Parts: sequence; structure tokens; C-alpha cells
Amino acid sequence: MTSLKRSFASDSSAPNLSNKVYVRSTKSGKVQKIVRELYLRQDIPCSSNLCSKCAQIAPTDYNNKVAPFVLSDTPAGTKAFPNGHYLVPDTNAFLTGMDLFEVETAFYDVIVLQIVLEEVKNRSLPLYHRLINLTKNEDKRFFVFFNEFRLETYVARDHGESINDRNDKAVRKAVQWYGEHLQEAVRARGKSLRCPSIVMISDDKENLRKAKAEKVPALSLSEYVSGLKDADLLLDMISAGREQRENKSGKGELFYPEYFSLSKMLTGVKAGTMHQGIFNVSPYNYLEGTVHVPAFDKSLLVLGRENSNRAVSGDVVVVEVLPKDQWKAPSTKIIEEETLNKNDNADAEDGETIVSERERRALQEEVKRVHGQSVEGRPQPTARVVGIIKRNWRQYVGHVDKDSVRSSSKSSRSQQTVFLVPMDKRIPKIRVRTRQAGELLGKRVLVTIDSWDRDSRYPVGHFVRSLGELESKGAETEALLLEFDVQYRPFPKTVLDCLPAEGHDWKVPKSLEDPGWKGRKDLRDLLVCSIDPPGCVDIDDALHARPLPNGNFEVGVHIADVSHFVKPNNAMDKEASMRGTTVYLVDKRIDMLPMLLGTDLCSLKPYVERYAFSVLWEITPEAEIISSQFTKSVIRSREAFSYEQAQIRIDDKSQNDDLTTGMRTLLLLSKKLRQQRMDAGALNLASPEVKVQTESETSDPVDVQTKKLLDTNSLVEEFMLLANISVAGKIYEAFPQTALLRRHAAPPKTNFEELGNQLKVKRGMEIRTESSKALADSLDTCVDAKEPFFNTLVRIMATRCMMSAEYFCSGTQAYPEFRHYGLASEIYTHFTSPIRRYADLEAHRQLAAAIDYEQLDPSLHSKAKLEAVCKNINVRHRNAQMAGRASIEYYVGQALKGRIIEEEGFVMKIFSNGFVVFVPRFGIESLIRLRDLGTPEPESEFDSENYVLNVTGSRNVKVELFQKVKVRISDEQEKSTGKRKIRLALL
Amino acid sequence: MPLDTSTYSLALLRLDGRRWNELRRIHAQISTQAAADGSSYLEMGNTKVICTVAGPAEGRTGGAARGGAGSEAKIEVEIGFAGFSGVDRKRRGRGDKRTAEMCHTLQTAFSSLLLTHLYPHSTISISIHILSQDGSVLAASINAATIALIDAGIPMSDYLVACTAASSPTTADDEVSDPLLDLNGLEEQELPFLTVGTVGGSERVSVLVMETRVRMERVEGMLAVGVQGCKRVKEILDGVVREYGKRAVR
Repeated sequence: MTSLKRSFASDSSAPNLSNKVYVRSTKSGKVQKIVRELYLRQDIPCSSNLCSKCAQIAPTDYNNKVAPFVLSDTPAGTKAFPNGHYLVPDTNAFLTGMDLFEVETAFYDVIVLQIVLEEVKNRSLPLYHRLINLTKNEDKRFFVFFNEFRLETYVARDHGESINDRNDKAVRKAVQWYGEHLQEAVRARGKSLRCPSIVMISDDKENLRKAKAEKVPALSLSEYVSGLKDADLLLDMISAGREQRENKSGKGELFYPEYFSLSKMLTGVKAGTMHQGIFNVSPYNYLEGTVHVPAFDKSLLVLGRENSNRAVSGDVVVVEVLPKDQWKAPSTKIIEEETLNKNDNADAEDGETIVSERERRALQEEVKRVHGQSVEGRPQPTARVVGIIKRNWRQYVGHVDKDSVRSSSKSSRSQQTVFLVPMDKRIPKIRVRTRQAGELLGKRVLVTIDSWDRDSRYPVGHFVRSLGELESKGAETEALLLEFDVQYRPFPKTVLDCLPAEGHDWKVPKSLEDPGWKGRKDLRDLLVCSIDPPGCVDIDDALHARPLPNGNFEVGVHIADVSHFVKPNNAMDKEASMRGTTVYLVDKRIDMLPMLLGTDLCSLKPYVERYAFSVLWEITPEAEIISSQFTKSVIRSREAFSYEQAQIRIDDKSQNDDLTTGMRTLLLLSKKLRQQRMDAGALNLASPEVKVQTESETSDPVDVQTKKLLDTNSLVEEFMLLANISVAGKIYEAFPQTALLRRHAAPPKTNFEELGNQLKVKRGMEIRTESSKALADSLDTCVDAKEPFFNTLVRIMATRCMMSAEYFCSGTQAYPEFRHYGLASEIYTHFTSPIRRYADLEAHRQLAAAIDYEQLDPSLHSKAKLEAVCKNINVRHRNAQMAGRASIEYYVGQALKGRIIEEEGFVMKIFSNGFVVFVPRFGIESLIRLRDLGTPEPESEFDSENYVLNVTGSRNVKVELFQKVKVRISDEQEKSTGKRKIRLALL
Repeated sequence: MPLDTSTYSLALLRLDGRRWNELRRIHAQISTQAAADGSSYLEMGNTKVICTVAGPAEGRTGGAARGGAGSEAKIEVEIGFAGFSGVDRKRRGRGDKRTAEMCHTLQTAFSSLLLTHLYPHSTISISIHILSQDGSVLAASINAATIALIDAGIPMSDYLVACTAASSPTTADDEVSDPLLDLNGLEEQELPFLTVGTVGGSERVSVLVMETRVRMERVEGMLAVGVQGCKRVKEILDGVVREYGKRAVR
């Protein structure tokens, strides 16, 4: 039994008790006064390896273990501190320089004070988490010192002193104590040791001044960094916000209206006079944003810079609806930032007005157009942003705008302000101060936004790092991964430690007595095979079918048993849950699980025994399910086919072995299943899918093809859907509150309004949206006898009107909301790809518990935790899709580089000064602007009710929606994003 | 946003600066209300409890049903939360289930502890007022009732002492978690915990209440630490009682 004696070494009535009193206000606006005890103590170690005294008093935990000391006995030094130093940053140092602290070349041996940690948490949770991660990083040697609990460093708040002043005082006191304590420690150890200095880092002038007065060594962040080796590089990484504010305070006009106070916004939202939602910027017009709020069916429109009031796409904002006479229709015009504001000077601050003259003109034309229209001009509720609840700023990838650089010589070390143009067109230009402008030109760089003040037209940010040359494969791929927040670093050692020790030699144990066999069915005799895309190495699924004596069939879907290898809550599981999904790029795959598992141990490779999770059904020849059964199993796949190979084998009449007949059975049943699904109203939607062919050696793209679909594709798909649906039912039955499911909400009617109207006006066709069945049927009728592709085009456009499917935890929705609209299934989950999707892995665990194979981990019992998991994987899933698409786009651009091709395309969308053409052959869509049609820019007349654009002047054409056009495809480097992009020209 | 319990692993310090095995400051007084047969005032940290005991006395009117039936004394427990005891000013009505459960816990625990057979047909009523809540309210109530009963001179087999124990949150990478002793209000909200009461500081557990969910394997450690904590509480309360006795004799 552990003794409790020590706790009373210092007695109860002692002076070591203090109180902490603070006032907080709750969400509902109540003010609470909180009183907390504070026990001050003397046994909090300094954690320096120099100190032997603290080593004796170091606390032990329940298991009598002592935490190792963190701070090095020979810390690095600078010129000013030749004996080495420990750094004690204060709160604003972390807030402005977190990127610096994460650098690997400097900033070691840092003491994080408790009070600083607390304040950082108060100011920014993301920064707090980054800081906590730093303290866990053994190499960086960050130590959290609980100064508030140590008797000597505790500081009481004087009467009338502000909290900030008191906290600054506490920081200085801690620095002082550390200094004295270390000197004592070094003296006790003997003379041979150097005594490191304790250096306070602060950006607060007042704090620095007081520190000087008290003779506490203190430096500002930039002073300290300029003493380091790669000062230039590091200096750029200091957040720009603060310094700029100091420079400019007092002068400069204010461009934007002030935000409302938080309480005013909250009351407004509650009262219904204001609305909260996520701000999205239109990809075609950077001045037009939308905010979807629950109170309105249609999204609220936010037009212009002044109304969007410093909101960046993705921020959670509060908006106020403008009076009805100021409502506008969504723009039909393409407005790109680069064309309007290319001459802005990044340095000039005085002359600019909030809306530049050209912007104003562009907007005015818009307004005129709206007013000139008939009543059906459909002005939408328009709003303005009055405040920001949460910034969703992340790191942005972009390139330095060449025109904003004053002197581009590489040797110039003078600081200048440049514009960084983000790859994402919806993000405004970012003003960055740098000393390395010359070097950064033509590179992909990563920056973050620090602030956006009322007196600055553009947000201000700072440089994080350079990714490499523009258009080099490495830099572009990394840019893409960063832009979509894909975790692509190699797996850390802690994760690899969770792999089975046998490595590639791991085998299914021979003896049936082995614990691995417990509860497993021996299905090695079944003729199982897998069908996947060619070259697939992570084989998730395999199938079999065999006739039963009663004339029915037994069909089995066997899924890799990943949950056997990835146990809940270990490092590997954590990493996988963070990554959420494997990301497929054209030339690269970023795995969710380490290679060893994904491509070997879990992968259902042919000819070897593998653990699997099997779903077995008895199915009648008419594809009615009689019964289903779930079991863990061991299988041996007989063959791994590609879709084509499988198709050839099935079609080959001479092959009549059991495996082939099994596959034929599967194909037969799958067709019937598909018919059943279609009858129930499943949608057959289309999205342009192309495949980039690459040269095998250099993986340089050489050609683009649209993907072919074979019968075997849908064979596999049908059975996977069936397995997912069966499993969803089972886990929902076992865990009605916490089953992880996937739903696809029915799209709101308004989503189809536009498309429906377009079809009615142009083709006299009708789209009905009462149910998925009605939609599926009406889509089938949208056929143009002369143009077979027309139907696909409509389907592609319909797909874009849909909601996106999402993972959710069953307790959070009512049963009718579980419906998967697209598949017309009442309940659905993901089960069949645990190697590449985390959701499937969780479903495996739940299913295993549902069939009493193993106990369910507590994390899967908790609705809150599952919701967090769902939220994350939803985001990751979407990001992975977008990253994949962006990668294809990039490679299509590369494949077409330097070539000029003429192709057929279709007009998909019409603006008053341009239109969008879709080219099915390459699955690309691109904008053709009026000014691309001829010089000088031709006049145009836009009939928005009939979707016709009449172009007159230097070129006479009439462009209609859905019209088939001939275009010339060439490529160009887009100036605004630095991407190589397809350019279309009308022939 | 102050720090929460997840920072425990950083330096093995809890939110109020204690180690895992430390009790809060305990302050107790006996005979605080002259008019009552027995009374006490107890503080465990910022949890403050006042307890008065009336009896053993004849059951109130209403016949045998109200007094102790047959050969044993009946014990009545009443707990009242002062409106100002929590952070928010809130009234807890009479029908509050939580309070009723606490009363019941105390009543059954003391029924087996007191030598009730000495007082047939009588009632011992314990009334407890919570003046300030900051965690471990049930434990504080039990401790206060014990010394108030001693003050009232009601024979009992030994002290009944109680304290709480919790399990610290696990961090991502290690599975070990420390059991924590004597929770304050904030910790109680964030961590799974149990209240344990032992007889006379021995290892005989007579009260064990847990309302939160915790991993099976952690319970043993929590219980061990709780029982150890009870021993310490017993020593402290015993000291208070003896000190009072000395003064009374003098």
C-alpha cells in the first residue's frame, strides 16, 4: 500500500494556503464568482539537470515513478549569453511567435510558466494545443513550471492592479527565482559548471522596462532572434500583427466598420435580428460571399468588401440582414481579384480606399443590372458581416506576387512588404513583410494570417516556410497536401512500435489453439477472390459465392480484419483517427495506416492466409436475402483480379471451374440487386472521372483518359453496398445510441430550382424532387436524342445540387434522418474499406462487439467522443476528395502542357461576361471570358431569363446554356495562383 | 479559460496545487451550537458543513410509526443545501432525489454503526446544513455527523469517516493514471470519482458510492487511496475530539 505520509509534512494551518478568486461569465450571460483554493508548496522541482537538490524532492506518482528532468545541463547559448540560457517566454511571445518555437534549429530549453500556459489557453486554443505538443516533444526540452503553486514564486494581486500587470509580475518573479535557484545549485555542485542565464522573452514594452529596472535579463522576441544564426529566416516568422499595430497607431484611416461586441452579437442572434453561419466565398467572384443560416432556406448573400468586413472564407460570422431595398441578386459576372487590383502597392497604405475605384465600378454595374430587371430578377436576402465568432484561419499556400516586390535582387536584405497570392482563389491577398523577397519569388510558400485590422485593406500575415520551386512536382504535391490539410509526414516511431514484431513474416498461426483463432471461423476452404483496380496493393475486400443444396446461394463478403491489428487508443489508432482516410493522388498515396499493415498483413492478398471479417448471406436466385451472418474468419484468397481480368474470365465460355462459376453467380446476383436498388429510387449520378496515364519510369503524365466502367465494377460495388447496409442494421440494433453510420440528407428543393428552371427554359424538361425515386426517374427522361452526352451532363450538374453524405453517431439523429438519399437505403454505414477509412475501422469494432467477439472500447460508448470522431473524418474525407481532384487537375495540366487540341465541349453555366465550358474528353471545365473572345473586349447582352449571351462587336456569337461548342484547349500558367491550368478558347 | 485536469500529467500537480495523495485542509469544531444535543462544524477545503444532532428522544407524536419501532432507535437524517452554497444561487427543494439519496446513505450507515438497541422507542435526528460546496459534500456530511454524534454522547462502535477518490485523466500516449484523493468541486465535475467511508480508520468499508463511469481496472487503485485517506481523516477528527475532551475536562 502506498503511504500517504508525505502529504502532511507541512501542516494544515500553515501559511501555504491561498485563495484564487475570479469572476467569469457563462454562456447565458450570467456572472459567476469562483473561489478556488491554492496550495502553495516547495517541492516543485526546477527540472534542470544541473540541480541536485530538486532531484531529491521530485514528486512521485502512484507507481512511485519520478518524471525525468527536462532542461539540459549544457544549454545552447548566444553571443549575449555565452554560458547558455534557459528561455522564459511570456504570453505574447507565444502568441506572436509560435511558429518560431516550433523551429528545429533553435529554441531549446524553454520554461513554460503555468500562468503563461493558462493565458495562452485563454487567448487561443489551437496555440495552446501546439504548446502542449511542444512540451511533450522530448527533443525540444520544454518544461512547464507551475509557478503559481510554488511558495517562492507565487505573487498576490495588489489592490487596483490589473490582471495583466499581476501576471507580468509573476513571470518576472519566476525568472528571478530561477536565476537565484540555479546559481545556488551550480555553486553546490562545484565550480567546473557554467551557470546558464535565465532570459525572459516578452514583446510587451512595459514588461521589458520593468524587467530592466528589476535587473531581470529580458529581451524582446525579435531582439533575441536577431542574435541567432539564421536570423533573417527566423525573423520573418514572427507574427506581423503586433509590431505593425505599434507602428501605425494614431495614423491611418479606418477602412472597415468596427465589429459588434460579443455580447451584442449573442443577444442579436438569440433575438433573431442577427444570424450566425459560416462565410463562404464564391469561387467565381471573390467579392461575393454566402452565409447559410438556419432561419433562411436560401443562403444569405454578402456582397462587396465592405459588407464582408474582413471575413475570410471559412470563418464563423454573425451577419445582419440589410433592408429589403438593398437586396441584390447573386452575381452573374466573373470578378477576379487579380484583374481588378493588380496594381495595388503592398507598401502604400495611405492612398488606398476600402473599395478601389474599379471594384466599385464592377459592383455598380451589377446593381444596375439588378434594378433594370423585371420583378422576377430574384433579389436574394443580402446581409453584411457585423462580427466574427471564430476565425478559421489556417496556413495558406501561395506565391509571392511578382509585381509587389520592390527590389528582387537576391542579395537585398532590406525588409519589404509583398503580397502573397494564395492558391485558393477565395482567400484574399495576404500582406507579408519579409527580408527575403528576392529568394521567395517563383517559389511556393506557406504563410499564415496573423490579423486583419480595420485600417488595413488586406490581412497581414507572416512567412512560415518555402516549399520549393513553382511547378516542381515535389513542391506542388506538398502544396496540395498542405492546402487540404492532409497529414503526410512519415509515421512517428511510437506508431511503428504498435506494429506486430514479426513484421512481414507475420502469419496466421498454424495451431487452432492460438488465441488469434478464438472466435474465428475457418473459411480457408472457400473459393474466395478479390476484384480491384489494376495495381491495387491495399486489398480491402474479397468475395465468394457457392450454391447451397436448397437451390439458394451462399454469398460472402470478406473484409480485411484491420481491427485485429489496430487496437483502440494506441498510438497507431490515434494517428489513424487523425488522418481519417487514405488520400489518393495521381502519383502518390498517403496512407492512413503504415505500409506493413495496409499493403501486407491486412491486405487480402491471394494465395496466403489472412484474418478477415466476413459477412455471409443466404440469397435466393432472385436476389432475396434469406439470412445474414457476421463472423471473424480466416480466409485464403485464390486469386486477385483486376476489373478487366475478372471480366475476361467471366466472359470466357471455356472456363468452367468453380471459381469462375462463383464469379458468374455473383455477377448475376449483383445485376438483380442493382435493379432492386434502382427500383427503390437509388440515384445514378455522374461525376467526370478521368485517369491520368503516366510514364512508368518518371511518372510524368503523358495522356488523359476517361475511366471505363465494366460490369465487374458494379459487381463489387453492389455487394459492398449490401454488406454496408447489413452491418449498419446490425450495429444500430446493438448500439442504438452510438452506432457510427453514414447518412445522405435529401437536398432541399431550392438546390434544384436553378437547374430545374434551366432545363425547363432551354429544353422543356422537368426535374421532380419530391423523392429520390422521382428525381431518378425524371433524370432518366432528360435525354437529347441527338446528343448522348447531354444526359450525363445533366447528371453531373444534378450531382452538384446534392448535399454531401456524412458520418454521424446514431444517437444524434432521429431514425428517419438516417436515410441515405443517393442509395435509397434506410440505413447505411461504411464497413468495407477499413485499410483506407477510419470510419470502417470503428464500424468493425462495433460489429465485433455486437456479435460478442470482444468487448467494446469505452471510447465507442461515448456519444461525445464518437461525434468528435465523425466530425473529423467528415472533414478529412472531404479534404481527401478535393486533394485527389486537385491532383488530377494538376496532372491533366501537365499532360496537356505544350499541346493544342481541339475538342467538343458543353456550356454549363453562363455569366454576363463569360461562360463555363465542360470538356467531357478530359473531364475539365474552364471559364471563357468575353475578353478572351477578342480584342477589344466585345460587347455583350445577357438574357438571364433565357440563359443566352449575345456577343457583338469584335466577335459575333450567340452562346446558350447546354450548347455544344468546339473549343481549343491549350495550357497556360495562371497568374493568380501560379498553377498551370487549362485554357479554353471558343472556335 | 483556466487550466483543466488534463494538465495533471505535466507536473503531477492538481488544479489547486496538491499532489495525488494529499487531502485538503480539514478544520473541525465540536459543540458549536449550545442548544443542540450534539453539534459540529467541519470544513474540507472550501466545503463547509454544519451538523446538529437531536436525541435520542422520544418519537414525535403520531404513535409508534414515528418513533423507532420495537427495540431500536430510529435515525432520521435531513440535509439542507443553503441557497448560497454553490456558485449559482439555487434552491434545492425538499423532493430533490440527490439529497434524498444522500440522506438515505447516511441513515443506513449510521443505523448499523450506532448502538441503537440501547434506545428503544426513540429517535435520533441528524440535521446537516451545507453552507458551501466545493466537492466531497457527501464525505464532509458523514464526517461532520460522526463528530456531532460523538458530541451528543451517543454510543457508537467506532468513527465513521469518509473521503473521495478519483482517477486522473489519461493522456494520449500512456495508459497509467494516478488515483487522486479528496476532490474539489472542479475535479468532481471532470473526473470519475467515488466516495468511500470506513469504520474507525480500519479497512472495513461501510459506505461506497459511485455515480460516474470508470474503467474497471482503475477502481482498485481509487479504493485503496480512498481507504488510506479515510485513515488520515480519522486521525484528524480523533485529534479534534481529544483536544475538545481535554478542554472540557479542565
